[in-house]
Amino acid sequence: MIGKEKLFNRMENVLAHSGADQTEIVYIGHESGLTRYANSYIHQNVFENNCTIYFRTVLGKRVGVASTNSLVVADLRKTLADSIEIARQQPENPHFPGLPGPAKYKSVDTFDETTARFTPNDRARAVKKIIAEAKRKRFTMAGSCASESGEIAILNSLGVRAYQPLSAASVNMIAMSDTSSGYASSTSRHVAELDFVGLAKRAVNKCDLAQGPIQIEPGDWEVILEPAAVAEMLEWLNYVSFGSKPFEQKMSFLSGKIGRKLTSEMVTIYDHGLDTKSIAFPFDFEGVPKKKVMILDKGVARGVVYDRASALKAKTKTTGHAITPDQNDEGAFGFNLFMAPGKAKANKMISGVKKGILVTRFHYLNGLIDPRNSVLTGMTRDGTFLVEDGEIKSGIKNLRFTDSFLRAFKSVKAISRERERIASWWSAVGCTTVPTVHLGSFRFSGKTEH
Amino acid sequence: MKEKLKETVALLQSKGVDYADCRFVRREKESLRASDGNLDSMSRNLDVGVGIRVLTKGAWGFAATASVSSADIKKAANKALQIARASATTVHEPVKLAEQEPFVDHYQTPFKKDPFKVATDDKANLLVKACEELKKSKKIKTAEASMTFFKTSKLFVSTEGAVIEQDLLESGGGFDAVAFDGKEAQKRSYPNSFGGDFGTGGYELIERMNFLDHTDRVREEAIALLKAVPCPDTETTIIISGPMMALQVHESCGHPIELDRVLGTEISLAGGSFMTIDKLNKLQYGSKLVNITADATTREGLGTFGYDDEGVKAHRTPIIKNGRFVGYLTSRETAPVIKQRSNGTMRADGWNRLPIIRMTNINLEPGKWELDDLIADTKKGIFFDLNKSWSIDDRRLNFQFGVEAAWEIKNGKLGRMLKNATYTGITPEFWNSCDAVCNRKHWHVWGVPNCGKGEPMQTAHVAHGTSPARFRNVKVGVTK
Repeated sequence: MIGKEKLFNRMENVLAHSGADQTEIVYIGHESGLTRYANSYIHQNVFENNCTIYFRTVLGKRVGVASTNSLVVADLRKTLADSIEIARQQPENPHFPGLPGPAKYKSVDTFDETTARFTPNDRARAVKKIIAEAKRKRFTMAGSCASESGEIAILNSLGVRAYQPLSAASVNMIAMSDTSSGYASSTSRHVAELDFVGLAKRAVNKCDLAQGPIQIEPGDWEVILEPAAVAEMLEWLNYVSFGSKPFEQKMSFLSGKIGRKLTSEMVTIYDHGLDTKSIAFPFDFEGVPKKKVMILDKGVARGVVYDRASALKAKTKTTGHAITPDQNDEGAFGFNLFMAPGKAKANKMISGVKKGILVTRFHYLNGLIDPRNSVLTGMTRDGTFLVEDGEIKSGIKNLRFTDSFLRAFKSVKAISRERERIASWWSAVGCTTVPTVHLGSFRFSGKTEH
Repeated sequence: MKEKLKETVALLQSKGVDYADCRFVRREKESLRASDGNLDSMSRNLDVGVGIRVLTKGAWGFAATASVSSADIKKAANKALQIARASATTVHEPVKLAEQEPFVDHYQTPFKKDPFKVATDDKANLLVKACEELKKSKKIKTAEASMTFFKTSKLFVSTEGAVIEQDLLESGGGFDAVAFDGKEAQKRSYPNSFGGDFGTGGYELIERMNFLDHTDRVREEAIALLKAVPCPDTETTIIISGPMMALQVHESCGHPIELDRVLGTEISLAGGSFMTIDKLNKLQYGSKLVNITADATTREGLGTFGYDDEGVKAHRTPIIKNGRFVGYLTSRETAPVIKQRSNGTMRADGWNRLPIIRMTNINLEPGKWELDDLIADTKKGIFFDLNKSWSIDDRRLNFQFGVEAAWEIKNGKLGRMLKNATYTGITPEFWNSCDAVCNRKHWHVWGVPNCGKGEPMQTAHVAHGTSPARFRNVKVGVTK
């Protein structure tokens, strides 16, 4: 960690040398460690100290971006010069709105000293506890345990000065027997909130219950989708429908449907970067404060997320969802998706199922088949169960589903009051926070051998 | 830099490690993207650092630093050693590495035209012109064209005495158009979906794609898809185009033959493999026409290099021979499990990632058919072109792939266009239903620049030499 003052001083020194009309510097630095285990031993254990410094420079309406991971002043100045040269060589971009001006940011707790100091030995001790739970049942464990600290700073020549330190920790685990597996995971800004043993017990219990799975036929089934499964569906919908680019390209299932009721009124989905129930972060990668954006409100389509450029094109305002300057042409992206809670108690939800399937998580989802109709496909994994008369009857072999999210989520029967944070690839600046969902109709289209 | 790395491995040797290697990597990337007649973005990235891998007490540690000063490299080396000692607390079987000759060598990607020296105007004008051509119809809502270039210098030094320098150059690009009629939106791409085609080589690879010769077809096919009928839900014969076959090989053969995955070390993210060790030399993976080779020496393949990131020289290894499963992708750690030496597939996504087993060029060797003859020989079926969606289970058995466009085949001729087409199957059943593979005239090495694996996530550049192929009794059209 370099720290706010030192970082600003160093970057302002470089900023002062810019000959561009407008200049932006985005600094993302981190120290991260990850311990990976399988077959109940640690097989990968890595540490990385790295940063990326992006320069976005503007000459009239021409924009250039260059980046480096070197903090040497000469390298920073060269990269700045490169970005100006790139801008000079470009034609004018009529859709470029210019850089933003200064803003005030909400104070959000994003850093925890204990997490930042979590060592390889601490991670190894956590992994040993996880493995020990599996050993009691003669199962093996596989998974990963990660911790990181870092800082993000954004400066521009119009006065933006945004800085935020951050920490994050996450763990995932799969308990495995000869015929079954069970999954659990968690993520937090505070490593102390990760209940390694409790999660391991949950994974082991699922693995135990799933032993000797039976084959069932695909078809239309009532399902309980646990939070990891719901999060995976939302992550794909986020990618193909909730951002400004697919919406503008008319590829989103929301395109042309704002104001229309699309799902059960029990479904509310929104992005909220300031809500600390998620992995919160106060501003986007242009230094614009994040705003809460309703995607579906009681089943009614409400909107998508924007950065400044896509907002200008759509004649609206940025919602504070810009991604890094090298990917500006991808449009905006929501890092903090939520599904609103319902009233059901998660551990009582199967009691309302006469005959159905409980899904712990999905594998290899894809939402590109027919995104305008929100069609998703994917396999179940690590704990799929047949439920009869309100109780788990047995584990079942994995199934492929192919279904429209909109169709399936019209049949919502219940949503849990409890929600879980599910980590994703952007885990340092966000995650997906979702409940357990009970659907009356969900279409499985294929099966596999395990 | 060479001296700094040699000093570092000497330091680790003096501390009694079993083995260590240091990799310095300097990667330059340039990306340009145009949309709707404007050059939307152009960016350059420079990424430099050193990664150090240490094996001690039979366990691995890895640390990486962006600062390449002697002091910071030594600090990272000590961190890697500390991490390896932490890993050793859970070891059952100490890691043993397969024997390897320590090479001292230099490898350079052959190329004709350095893309980093081609005038920006030339690159930008081609992309903008392609978009303008695509947007000649009002039904085209958006058009995008892009190019990306990578220049990577690597230096590998090990405690065994290897000193290997490599200079790799990769180039690629493509374009796509989205047609919209107020209700439906459909996309077509060239020469492949998701960014086009990539290879090892220079700007000559871009020039050879002849972007502007293909914009009319792509535009008209995107528009035609708006009126196309949905793919029927049935079981039929299918012919898969070359670029779509690349994805088929990638997901259903390339990933399940990674020996680390087979041994369970990828379970937590991407899953395992049905191609377990007991099936080696026994499983009839496909029909006798199916021959698949892992070849890191394929000319212009995106998975082509001189040495992997463990210092093992590039190999050509049979994987499927006359349909029989005969080989894995291996590393120095995993190869001894099957009593072999590494066939050189350990690669890292930069200095800051640990090398893991990655595909090289996993090639479906060409067969004997002309594509026209193959279509003429098919009484009833569907032709599938360019990947749109992909999904496969955690043992690589049940897959479902969607394509941008498909066409009915009726009485040996391509008929009406089909939209939102998918096909699904179980890997060995599917490959055993292969009854024709097209010849070398139709064979091309398709670059895949975005193969994800590992935690932290690593993106590998791999490729697949493929030609169109025919499969019988395949379930198609499951989209609802």
